[in-house]
Amino acid sequence: MSKFNFPFIKETNELSNLRKEVREFITTCINNNEFTPSPDAWVFSADPSFSKKLGSKGWLGMSFPKEYGGHQRTALERYVVTEELLSLGAPVAAHWIADRQSGSQILRYGNEKQKSSIIPRITAGECFFAIGMSEPDSGSDLASVKTKATKTKNGWKLEGRKIWSTGAHLAHYMIVLARTSPASEKNRHEGLSQFLVDLSLPNVKITGIPDMTGQRHFNETLFDNVELSDDSLLGEEGKGWKQVVGELALERSGPERFLSHFTLLDSFINEFRNSLIHSGTKIVGKLISEIQTLRRMSFSVASMLQSGESPETQAAFVKELGNKFEKMMIETLREFSNIVPLHEWPNQLQNLFEDATLRIPSNSLRGGTTEIMKGIIARQLGLR
Amino acid sequence: MIEELEIILETTSKILQKHINHSLRQNIVSENTDILNLWNEIEKNGLPKISVKEKFGGYEIPFFSILPLIKIVNNHGTPLPLSETILSNYILSESDINPPNGIVTFATDTKNLQIKNNMISGELLSVPYLNLTKNLLIVHELNNVKKAILIDEINGEIINKKNFLAEPRYDIKVKNLNIAEIRPIKNNIDFNFLGAILRSAQMIGAMEKVIDLSIKYCSERKQFGRALSKFQAIQHQISEMAVELSASSAALSTITKLGLSEKNSNDTAILKIRAGFAAGKIIAISHQVHGAIGFTKEYELSYFTKNLNSWRNDFGNESFWEEFLGKRFLEKNNKNLWEYLT
Repeated sequence: MSKFNFPFIKETNELSNLRKEVREFITTCINNNEFTPSPDAWVFSADPSFSKKLGSKGWLGMSFPKEYGGHQRTALERYVVTEELLSLGAPVAAHWIADRQSGSQILRYGNEKQKSSIIPRITAGECFFAIGMSEPDSGSDLASVKTKATKTKNGWKLEGRKIWSTGAHLAHYMIVLARTSPASEKNRHEGLSQFLVDLSLPNVKITGIPDMTGQRHFNETLFDNVELSDDSLLGEEGKGWKQVVGELALERSGPERFLSHFTLLDSFINEFRNSLIHSGTKIVGKLISEIQTLRRMSFSVASMLQSGESPETQAAFVKELGNKFEKMMIETLREFSNIVPLHEWPNQLQNLFEDATLRIPSNSLRGGTTEIMKGIIARQLGLR
Repeated sequence: MIEELEIILETTSKILQKHINHSLRQNIVSENTDILNLWNEIEKNGLPKISVKEKFGGYEIPFFSILPLIKIVNNHGTPLPLSETILSNYILSESDINPPNGIVTFATDTKNLQIKNNMISGELLSVPYLNLTKNLLIVHELNNVKKAILIDEINGEIINKKNFLAEPRYDIKVKNLNIAEIRPIKNNIDFNFLGAILRSAQMIGAMEKVIDLSIKYCSERKQFGRALSKFQAIQHQISEMAVELSASSAALSTITKLGLSEKNSNDTAILKIRAGFAAGKIIAISHQVHGAIGFTKEYELSYFTKNLNSWRNDFGNESFWEEFLGKRFLEKNNKNLWEYLT
């Protein structure tokens, strides 16, 4: 049980300087009332003009090659930028998925036309993506997807439904996992392919689904015999499973798995510093130890990605621990209301807290459930 | 040096593999020739003085770099205080005291210590393996200076002997005991920090073993017509252990790389909190998935879980270090949390 290591990676001075630069930029935006920091901002808070701004600062598509408008910087640099954006609750939802996973997926598997037409726009903060994995009948059991792509004379015909796609209503594209040939008896993972689907095509219908907070961020997307051009196939026909597994490593290992509600924690500590000194040092210490450990692990995964490894299992570790931490954090704050009753908290903090309490069940569902993470780990331990 | 360490790790594994079986752990007395043979083999390979300066006959590999060795020693469930000896000798050497040959243990804690005329009196608490050695390190602070005190002829009144633990532990009251050497510790290093790091590395080695034992047992044991490991409920429990361990290992790799300084003393706290918390979870889950067999003396699981229980309480438990971390941030800092963390 020593095969899953998270080697320590030091934050260099260059990285710290970048961190400072990003922080100053975001703080200025906040001071100029360009946005109000919000929790879970990478899911809920979309602001295309802010995304564009980040693009012009060179903070999107950071690790993408220069020939596609990228900046050829490291995954560690990207990590630092995303941490700063998350910790300050910046409105990053519009570009988040494109920058985190779709762009890399296209660079890795896409053809020249896909790369040159899309990557520069992602980098500029002008092209947004949604995830096309889950379906009404396929949640955790991703290999059971029924969306079907059939070869036609000029390309493909796409038929099916995708669901829970965050930001699909704002996105330009969706990477859709579809069946291109029936699953073999032995291996359900065969016969799947990924498609790069332009969401403005005819017969694509996107319907919003309000979540339990009443907000709309996720959607159901109907593909009613959508005609796709030949070069909509992303990567290799039939290799969709392997491709999607790699995409999930990008999706699961980042700091959004434990910094989604950092703005709440930060305001909480600023507000109650004096009471905490008397009766909350232990809880603050516990929270610090968890966050720092998670940051080290996630940063370590970024360095694995940088060196071309596929840390799918390590990503599952980060996600599982991160989800647990966030739930624990909110419980810890709730228990503190024994010391200062909730109704005496400033309104803004009360709202943040209640908002987080409402949203928190989703953290261990999105990007793969706790049960799926544990299953991945169990498989790697040789139990399956 | 990395290559040198790799070789040492490999050799150590082989030695421990060859000498240790579970029955050896049930008879940790100085009359047991198997115990003596194992120690001799360990000493022959220079392990006790691995972090001791060359001028005192050591390898002079920094203590923080050899934490992987501490992990291996405790992964094998070595029923000897090699980890304690390595740390004691390192502290002695850093204090410019030539470490003695043989086993050196330490007082985990002390009470009412008094030093007069090069003699020491008071209570030395929770001393591991006192039955195997006469050499003992005490770290004691005098006028804000931390001093390393070497005793080479320990004797006194045993006031408490903890037999139920995996490793023997003693509380001993000493009166006018001769001090062999006493010197200030270089850089005023805090023993509590070093101890916390040592115990965390030991815990991580032991936790790896406990998880391996659980995987092995659950893969072999059949109930309801299939191996326990094929039940999802069991798989998820074992995964949970792996998750806890991975967080502790990440915290350890920070210390292995950065060592210990004023600047990163939070990392020690984080490590001890993380490892102690993980140990609690892993003790509970490993016993749960093992069923009754894990609760027997004959099966080796309990040797490791008992040690985990002792180590998580030594040198400050989770609460102690959580208070330390929280206080440090809240009292000595006006920064907001994110600035502080980064």
